[in-house]
Amino acid sequence: MRRVSKFLSPLFVCALAVLSAQAQGPRNVRVDLKETTLKNGLRVITVEDHSAPVVAISITYNVGSRNERQGRTGFAHLFEHMMFKGSENVGSGEHFMLVFNNGGNMNGTTNEDRTNYFEVLPANQLDLVLFLESDRMKSLAITKDNLDNQRNAVQEERRLGVDNQPYGKSGELQQELIYDNFAYKHSVIGSMDDLNAATVEDVSGFFKMYYAPNNAVLTLVGDFKTAEALAKIRNSFESIPRQPDPPPVDMTEPQQKAERRLTVDDVLARAPRVDLAYKAVPGNTADFYALQVLAAVLQGGQSSRLYQKLVKEKEMVTNVGGFMDEKRGVGAFYTNATLRPNVKTQDIEAVIYEEIDRLKKEPIADWELQKAKNTTRRNIVNSLQSSISRVITIGQYAVYYNDPNLINTRLDKVAAVTKEDVQRVANKYLVDTNRTVVITMPKAKAKTAAGTGQ
Amino acid sequence: MRIMKNRSNIILSLMLIVLVSSLALGQGGGMPAGQQPQTTKGAVIKGKAPVNKEVLKVKLPRAQEATLKNGLQVVLLEAHKVPTFNMQMVVLSGGLADKADYRGLASFTASLLREGTAKRSSKDLAEQVDALGATLTANAGLSSLTSTVAASGLVENLDQTLELFADVIRKPAFPQAEVEKYKTRTLAQLQFQRSIPQFLAAEQFQRAIYGSGHPASLIAPPADSIKKLTSKDLADFHATNYRPNNAILAIVGDVTMKDIMPKLEKAFGDWQRGDVPTVSIPPAPAQTDSRIYLIDRPGSVQTVLQLGTLGIERTSPDYFAVLLADRVLGGGPSGRLFLNLREDKGYTYGAYSNFGGSKFRGTWISSSEVRTDVTEGAMKEFMYELNRLRNETVPAEELDNAKRAIIGSFALSLEQPATLLQNIITQKLYNLPADYWDTYPQHVAAITPADVQRVAQKYIDLGHLQVVAVGDASKARDILAKYGKVELYDAEGKPLPIN
Repeated sequence: MRRVSKFLSPLFVCALAVLSAQAQGPRNVRVDLKETTLKNGLRVITVEDHSAPVVAISITYNVGSRNERQGRTGFAHLFEHMMFKGSENVGSGEHFMLVFNNGGNMNGTTNEDRTNYFEVLPANQLDLVLFLESDRMKSLAITKDNLDNQRNAVQEERRLGVDNQPYGKSGELQQELIYDNFAYKHSVIGSMDDLNAATVEDVSGFFKMYYAPNNAVLTLVGDFKTAEALAKIRNSFESIPRQPDPPPVDMTEPQQKAERRLTVDDVLARAPRVDLAYKAVPGNTADFYALQVLAAVLQGGQSSRLYQKLVKEKEMVTNVGGFMDEKRGVGAFYTNATLRPNVKTQDIEAVIYEEIDRLKKEPIADWELQKAKNTTRRNIVNSLQSSISRVITIGQYAVYYNDPNLINTRLDKVAAVTKEDVQRVANKYLVDTNRTVVITMPKAKAKTAAGTGQ
Repeated sequence: MRIMKNRSNIILSLMLIVLVSSLALGQGGGMPAGQQPQTTKGAVIKGKAPVNKEVLKVKLPRAQEATLKNGLQVVLLEAHKVPTFNMQMVVLSGGLADKADYRGLASFTASLLREGTAKRSSKDLAEQVDALGATLTANAGLSSLTSTVAASGLVENLDQTLELFADVIRKPAFPQAEVEKYKTRTLAQLQFQRSIPQFLAAEQFQRAIYGSGHPASLIAPPADSIKKLTSKDLADFHATNYRPNNAILAIVGDVTMKDIMPKLEKAFGDWQRGDVPTVSIPPAPAQTDSRIYLIDRPGSVQTVLQLGTLGIERTSPDYFAVLLADRVLGGGPSGRLFLNLREDKGYTYGAYSNFGGSKFRGTWISSSEVRTDVTEGAMKEFMYELNRLRNETVPAEELDNAKRAIIGSFALSLEQPATLLQNIITQKLYNLPADYWDTYPQHVAAITPADVQRVAQKYIDLGHLQVVAVGDASKARDILAKYGKVELYDAEGKPLPIN
C-alpha cells in the first residue's frame, strides 16, 4: 500500500549536539539522533543502529489525561484503546496479530502528559510498522460497537488495577487531594461514570484535535539506512493533513497552604498503610534532579534511611518506598509504608518526619550521593540497550521537554547535584504545608452470603 | 508492592512474551501470513498491510566456557553495547533439596545471604552494594532446581561488585539477630500477600494439581518452617550445597574472558569442593478428577479464574507441540483467549494461557480476571476454547502465524543479553543438546496441526481439569456449580460450608 508523495519532501535536518567527549573515566554511550520535521508538522527522530536486526518505532502524541475535561476522566486512555480497533486498511485487532505474529512486540500507554504507541519487530518489517502507524493516524475507524467493547476492557483494567486490589483506591484519592488544577486532579484510568458517559462523538473530536501529525513525534531506532527510512516515513505520513494546534492546557498549580489529610477504609486491605506526598516541581529541573537524589537516599533500596530504620531497626513496617514523580507540570515526592500488626500510623509518620528533618539539617554522606549517581547511571545506561526503550524515552523527552537529546545529557544533570542541593530542596519542598497524607485502614469485612448460608 | 500509578497500557506488560533465541531457520519460503480478508473471533483481518514474508535469520552470539580447578563452571556471553554486566551464580540445589518437613529452607538460605558475612554486617552490605550502583539479590523457589545469587552493575565497578558477590556466596554468617528479624518480616509479608487475589488463586491452583506432599504444591513457605528457622539450619544448608562443583557462574556484559578469568580465580579459586547429596525429583502425583475451588474474598468486584491441568516436563518430546498449542490458545494478544474474552466479549482486560515444566511435570493454565457478573460467560468461553483446541484441528494459517511469532522473536532477543544468558542456563540445567537453541526454530517449524491437537487432547484433560475462582462467593457460587461440585474456602485456605 505505497502512497505517492504529493509534496516535495526535504525539510530541515539537523544532527543534534554531540556530547562533549569524556577524556577519562567511565565509558559513555551516545545515542546519535537525527531530527527532521515533515511539512505537516510531524516531528521525526531517527537513530540508525546496526547492532541487532530489529526496528522499533514510537509515536508519542502530545495528549494525556491532563487534556481531559470534567465529566470525561479516563478518556485519553480509552481513546488509546480505540487506536487498536481498526483503521481504513487495518481491521479491528489485526494490529495485534500483525505485530505478534511476525515476532514483534508492542503496546500503547497513556499517562497524564502524553500517549505513546510503540512496536518492535525484526528489521525487515519496517514497511509494516510505518503502515500500521500511519494508517491509524490518517483514518481511524470509529464505531459504537468497538467503543463499547473497549469501554468494557478499560473498566476491567480499572477493576484489575484499582477496585479489586488492596490500597487500589488510595492512590487515586491521594492524587485528587494533592492537586487543585483539574489537569492532574484525577486519575488516568478515570471514573466508571465518566467512562460510561464517553460517546462516539467524543472519540471523533478527540482524534481530530489531538491525533494530528503536528501534535506527534515519530521516533525510529534500529537497523535501517536513515535516508531510506526517511523517504519511507515521508511517503507514509507526509500527506496526513495538519490540524489547528490543540488549545494549550493551563497547568498552573496554586501554592498549597496547609497539610491535606484523608483516611480511607478499605475492605480488601489487611494492614494499614501510610501514603505521603509533597507537592514539588516539574521534571527536568535542577530541583527535580536533586529530589531524585534525595529519594534514593531516603527510600531507595535496602541501604536507604527509611528501610534501615523502619524495616530493620524498629521492625514497624513490612515495606517502605517511594519516588520523585516526573511530570511536565508540578510533580510530587511520594513515600509509602505498609504497617506491621499493632503499629500505629502516627508513629510511622513521626519516624518518617524525623528522617526528613535530618535531611534538612545535615548534609547527606558521600556514599549516599555516590549511590544515587551510580544507580542513576546504571539505570540510564541499561535503558540504552534495547531499541524499544530508546524510542519510548526519546519520544517522551521530545514531547515533555522539547529535548530529545536529554537521553544523552540527563546523566550530566544528575551528576551536577550536590549535597547542598539535596539539603536545599529538602527544606524547600518537604515541608508540612506542602504535604498530603492518605491513611488506609483495613475495614472489617461484611459477611457475605457465602459464609452464612444466605 | 507499588500500586498502579498514573499509567495505563493497552495490554498488561511491555515484554509480555519474550521468547527466545537462536538462529538460522532452515526452512525455505517462510510461512505465509494471511492476506485474504477474513474474520477471526475478536479480530477483523483485512490483509492489506505490507508484511515481509521472510522470517529473518539471526545468528546467536556464542558463549565462552571455562572451568576452574575446583569444578566451578564459568559461562560468559560478551555484550559490549553498554558498559554494564550481569552475573549469576546458579547453585544446583534449590527448593527440591528441602526436606519434606522443612519446606522453604533453600529459599530462606538464599534470602539471608545478604544479611551478614564474616566481615560485613547486613547494613555494610546494603550500603556498599548500593554505593556502587550495583544490585545483589539471591533467591530460591519452593520447588526450584536451583538457588541463584545475582549481581549487576557498571563495569567500572566490576572488581568491587565481584568481591561483594563472592563474599555473600562464600562467607555468609546468618547472624541469629538477622534470622529473627527475617522471620517476623516474612510472616508479616505472608499476611499481606493474602490480600492479593492472584496470590490466593495461584496458591489454591498449585494445591489442586500437586496435592499436599509435593514441593510444587506451595507458592509461599509454610509458617511452621519460618517459625522454626535457626542460624544453624541455614549454615548447614549453605555448607552442604553452596559448593563450586555444584554451581554454574553465568556472566553477560561488557567484559572479556581474558580480563575476567584472573578475577574469578581470585574470587572463587580457593572455594572448597564438597560432596553434595543427589536430590531425587519427586514426580507429580496422580491427578484427581476435575474439581472446582471457590475462594471467598468479600469485597471483590472481579472473579479471578484459573483453569488448568498437569502439563509436561521441560525435556518432554511434546515440548514444541505444547509451545505452539499454548501460543495459539493464549500466548498473548493474538491468542484465542484474548481475542475472544476481551476483543470480542469485553469481559476482561486480558486472558492468557501459560505452561511451564521442570524436571517434574509443570502446569498448563488458562487465566483471566473478569467482572463478577460475567463469571458465567467467561467460564463458557474458556470451556469453548479448551474444547475447540481439543476437538478441531488448528487451521494451518493460524499455526503458521504462531510459528512466525516464535521464530521471528529471536531477532528481538539479540537486544536482550540477559535472556540469551538465561537460555544457556536452561540448556545446561536440563542437559539439552549443545545446539538446542540453534535448532529450536527447526523444531518449531516442524510442528503440524495434528501435533497440536494431539497434545491438546493429551494434556488438556477435561476429566482432570482443575478450576480455581477467587471472588465474591455469594455471586460466583451458583454459576460455578453448573460446572461441577464447588468446594468453598476462605482467604486463609480454610474450608467453608457451602450452603
